[in-house]
Amino acid sequence: MPAVNNLRMRAIQLLKSPQLAWLFDPALLLEIFVASNLAVLAADIVLAHSVNQFRNPAEYIPLYFSADAPVLLLVAMLAKGRWRSQDAWRDIGLLIGGLSVLVGLAGVIYHLRSGFFAEHTLRSLTYAAPFAAPLAYTGLGFLLLLNRMVAARETEWARWVILLATGGFFGNFVLCLTDHAGNGFYLKTEWIPVISSALATGFLIVPVIAPVTRRYLDLCLVVLGLQALVGVVGFGLHLWMNYNTPGGSLFEKSIYGAPPMAPLLFPNLVGLALIGLWQLATHLPEGTAERPGVFDQLLSCVAEPSTEN
Amino acid sequence: MSFRSVFIAVTVAFALVLGAFLVNRARPRVETDQPTADFVRANGKCAECHARLQYSVVHEYEMSKHAKKGVNCLDCHQPTEGQQKKDHHGFVISTKLTAGNCRNCHEGIYQEFLHSRHAAPSWAAIYGEKGLSAEQVAFSEQYQPGGTKRPPHPFVNSEGGAAMVSGCEQCHAVGRPNDDGTIGSCTNCHSRHTSSVALARRPSTCGQCHMGPDHSQIEIYDESKHGVMFAAQENLLKLNADPKTLSTRDMFVPTCATCHMSGLNGLKMTHDPSDRLGWYLANPVSEKRPNSLRAQNEMKQVCSQCHTQPLIDRVYAQADQVVANTNTKVLAAKDIVDGLRKDGTLTGPPFSNPIDFTYFDLWHYDGRTSKHAAFMGGADFVQWHGNYGLMQKTVQLKHDAEALRRAHASGK
Repeated sequence: MPAVNNLRMRAIQLLKSPQLAWLFDPALLLEIFVASNLAVLAADIVLAHSVNQFRNPAEYIPLYFSADAPVLLLVAMLAKGRWRSQDAWRDIGLLIGGLSVLVGLAGVIYHLRSGFFAEHTLRSLTYAAPFAAPLAYTGLGFLLLLNRMVAARETEWARWVILLATGGFFGNFVLCLTDHAGNGFYLKTEWIPVISSALATGFLIVPVIAPVTRRYLDLCLVVLGLQALVGVVGFGLHLWMNYNTPGGSLFEKSIYGAPPMAPLLFPNLVGLALIGLWQLATHLPEGTAERPGVFDQLLSCVAEPSTEN
Repeated sequence: MSFRSVFIAVTVAFALVLGAFLVNRARPRVETDQPTADFVRANGKCAECHARLQYSVVHEYEMSKHAKKGVNCLDCHQPTEGQQKKDHHGFVISTKLTAGNCRNCHEGIYQEFLHSRHAAPSWAAIYGEKGLSAEQVAFSEQYQPGGTKRPPHPFVNSEGGAAMVSGCEQCHAVGRPNDDGTIGSCTNCHSRHTSSVALARRPSTCGQCHMGPDHSQIEIYDESKHGVMFAAQENLLKLNADPKTLSTRDMFVPTCATCHMSGLNGLKMTHDPSDRLGWYLANPVSEKRPNSLRAQNEMKQVCSQCHTQPLIDRVYAQADQVVANTNTKVLAAKDIVDGLRKDGTLTGPPFSNPIDFTYFDLWHYDGRTSKHAAFMGGADFVQWHGNYGLMQKTVQLKHDAEALRRAHASGK
């Protein structure tokens, strides 16, 4: 298979080129992940809070925050990468991270107040504004704080990232459960993301609380692949449902119908989990030489001396 | 890969899934067993907004029998054929509900209502056949002859649209023609979100419209022994008792609905309030209804749930006598006015001379009141608000007729 080997060698050379060195900077990857997520959240907030036409002025807070924070984080990244100002990077990040945590926690209270605090029942929890959703801000805020308070090359950093990804999947589990309970799980397929996110939560919590091998991380890759698939299929199904539901424009149906962006949380969290797993894998011993695993092969590829050198 | 890792992962994942199933199972079946996902969502989504915007609407619904039986917002608010559809926050609904929405579940009751004077005749009493289809007029005429095939009331032109819309129509819309081809609005008596049987059984509900000098049933009832007992013992009655099993133990004091509509102690229930009436009491000169014997017998059966036959027969005999007596007095007054028109003393359109109003008040106020009161046990209304007025206005009519004749003769 000379063609395949040739392709593999070219890919390895590309990955090892200085222009793509940032791909192996976990701290930078995490910053990009947080900034892009905050930016996407701005669009998501527009859809979500349009349900009640931003009736409460406080509903604009996450919108403005999500619109501004990525710009500031970009400045912070430039400060660190271009201008070598570690302090500016740290301070801006700590500020945005802290604010993000607060926005998320306040959001949970506000969302629960929409119904659950008035009537403490399963019903009000089902139909209240999705109380777990604002925790996305809290999670992103913690990631920013983590990036500045724990060294990125350490195992602890990797475990924290995996823990927060696990928290994300658990949040997804709650969101899917309550959102689809609103439909009474009318279609049995609505259970798929619930089961899928439970699986991800179960598998990802293990590297956080127990010692694992690279083999186990390979298993996690399979589970994460499933999550990505569920997310993409879910995105398509939500769009299809909205398109085929009678009444209103597609935009209006997207607001009041199946939330099209929600399933994309699955592949998004896969990205976060991969950052953590990759970093963790670098600290774990290699598998047996006879049966190298996926992480073994990937890490050996990146570690291989470039043919150009 | 260690066993411990896999064990923890599988255990945690399974526990979460199991928890999710158990939480979902804890939901009431009445919420989740619905014909479509929209119906399940409507269960809570509507309330999530409307509890903040119109709290009473949600609260009233939650107290209703509809809520207990799993009928949710979308059941009633889904547009039926011919109704305007409105896209409303992810749902397609109708905001203007009619009897057409209620009949989806209560067809039998709707048909009874259609036979009644609460239906098309009620509307026609103001606007005549306007707005009603030929089929609707023909249908109603089978059961209430002359009630629908009639011209608009002369006051429509003389008093103007505003008086009709904000006045007469507020009550007479109980039989309004709807865009969806149905007639009427059940919520006039049952209210919108409580959909309450108890409310419909309260005298004050009927009294919203059946009041005032031209149809003073609520005032007569309040004066009657029935009304006095209701005021005193209202809190002991089971106004919300199931109509199918309603007994004199629940309603040992009758309200309007008990006598005119309820299936007390197994009797036939009806949503045609005139089904048990033997006379057209609202007419200037009352005539017996086509089915008067059957109707009176059915009403007497209701009476007999509490009273002995001699008492019932005596009340009916006395009341029939009052009707005959009132007819005589009204006919005499009518002869006076007809005589004036016949000899050319009284000219011009109706209600253009004060004597027209004297005659109208005589039969429309005093005549009706005396007849209604005789059947409903309102002694004061038979006499002072009825026959006394008949006498007083008859004297007035004769006096005014003489004056008109003198003026006519002298050419003034």
